[in-house]
Amino acid sequence: MKLKELVYKGIITENPVFIQLLGMCPVLAVTNTAENALGMGAATTAVLIGSNFVISLLRKFIPSKIRIPAFVVVIATFVTMVGMVMKAYLPALDAALGLFIPLIVVNCLILARAEAFASKNSVTKSVVDGVGMGLGFTIALVILGAVRELLGAGTIFGATMTWSSFEPAGVMGLPPGAFLALGMLLALYNKIASMKLKKQ
Amino acid sequence: MSASSIFIILVSSILVNNFVLSRFLGICPFLGVSKQVETAFGMGMAVTFVMALASLMTFMVQHFILIPLGLEYLQTIAFILVIASLVQLVEMIIQKSSPTLYSSLGVFLPLITTNCAVLGLTILNIQMELTMIEAVIHGVGAAIGFSLAIILFAAIREKLEYYNVPEPFKGFPIALIVASFMSLAFLGFTGLV
Amino acid sequence: MREVIKLGFILLLITSVAAVVLGVTNDATSVIIEQREQEEKIQALKVLIPNADEFTQIDDLLLADKQDVVEAYEGLKDGVVVGYAVKVNPSGYGGDVNIIVGFTSEGITTGIIIGSHTETPGLGSKIEDEVFVNQFTDRATDRALISVKRSIEQDNEIQAISGATVSSDTVINGVNAAISLLREVLMKHSSGCSCYG
Repeated sequence: MKLKELVYKGIITENPVFIQLLGMCPVLAVTNTAENALGMGAATTAVLIGSNFVISLLRKFIPSKIRIPAFVVVIATFVTMVGMVMKAYLPALDAALGLFIPLIVVNCLILARAEAFASKNSVTKSVVDGVGMGLGFTIALVILGAVRELLGAGTIFGATMTWSSFEPAGVMGLPPGAFLALGMLLALYNKIASMKLKKQ
Repeated sequence: MSASSIFIILVSSILVNNFVLSRFLGICPFLGVSKQVETAFGMGMAVTFVMALASLMTFMVQHFILIPLGLEYLQTIAFILVIASLVQLVEMIIQKSSPTLYSSLGVFLPLITTNCAVLGLTILNIQMELTMIEAVIHGVGAAIGFSLAIILFAAIREKLEYYNVPEPFKGFPIALIVASFMSLAFLGFTGLV
Repeated sequence: MREVIKLGFILLLITSVAAVVLGVTNDATSVIIEQREQEEKIQALKVLIPNADEFTQIDDLLLADKQDVVEAYEGLKDGVVVGYAVKVNPSGYGGDVNIIVGFTSEGITTGIIIGSHTETPGLGSKIEDEVFVNQFTDRATDRALISVKRSIEQDNEIQAISGATVSSDTVINGVNAAISLLREVLMKHSSGCSCYG
């Protein structure tokens, strides 16, 4: 498989959020603004690339019996490092994402890529896979974050997008809005996919 | 440790700060294991068991190992290893001691390691500066809240099977919209504590 | 048996490497984090007590029985107290809200700074808006502030943000906690603690 295809696969055909429905906790929890969504996407991508790199490097050294605990240790190490760096250089984002930074450890997406891809493929391919999946995850998060921020606060990335008489629906920033927005986006995605299928 | 503070922790973790519907913890099993009430119930029981034990174990690890050694930055890695070994241990004990219980809970146990509700709970326990007893009560409350949400959700999804849902909404989209309304209902508990 | 030892050893090896890597990262970042927090704190203190040239932290023992109060400082100019700042963290809708409240030495508020919080963006996050924050400047502290939903009639009233009453009340409660500390402890106490430049 070509490297370009790997990236395309991560963003479109096997998008971790819209197609595989992996890592739903952060998808719903931190997408109340586009900025938080982007921060979470970037942090997850960094962990994903790092863990894919190390795990594919060690794939012949780690016996299959203890692979899961070994993967978890590798992932947790990268998550803690990303958390420390964020606390040092991006304190506002760190405070906004809070609990969900250590919880990147249990994001099923990362363990799934380690198990299904990095433990069976070369270092280069694994890193590219991490980039593709990470980008796919980030793009999905930012779309959801932008929709919720627009409807919930009338802004995108903090910039006002709506006319002055627009009354934002605050509930979009709250938990019910997260479920609703993701449900609607998934339905839209299905509709577009089925329309494309009909055309063919 | 008064009875009223136990009550407040319980009400807060079950209703006001429901782990699934308001904190977004444990969404994967919430969406994945909620097609039938029976499996949802099994998942709820297994989570309750692990959460109460994990609250106790991680409290001890934090206060008797990490803090005295000044290694608080190893919290994430230590807690996930504690939870993973705990789940493994519980699985082995149940398998040996009660085959009937194992046949109903066994399939859910491996899934719990990557259930972010458990890791989230243990980190929250430390952040909220709870005592050991409070932490265990918080764990039980969180698990009851999780079970309540997942069982109610499964009951609605079972009914949903009989309705004519528009094609693009079939499956997860309609399930998420149901979850949205449940979450809206739970918002009503805000201010209770 | 031999296999178990081998597996255990490999896992131990991976974990030790992880621990070492994290130890190094922690050493590198903890210095930066501490430095930044210290700088931010002094920055905030300078805004709230503008005419002070030196800040001293109040002994924690004096704050022990005050709910929601984290830290308190005196601002000094030429060794004379010219103002106070109190850091509070009342719990709001989404979690703790960090607020620093400034006072003159006569007990008039000089303003508040809203620090990190996790209130709902677009609703609770409006506690950061100037319209709301500016209400806390130049207030007398002989009475506790109270929250109202209409326009202000009395001089100890604060108009809550519509649609974000819980978050507004959180800030007001935090400021009241600072006021009670000011009235009951700070203004009755003279300086003499660890110094910040």
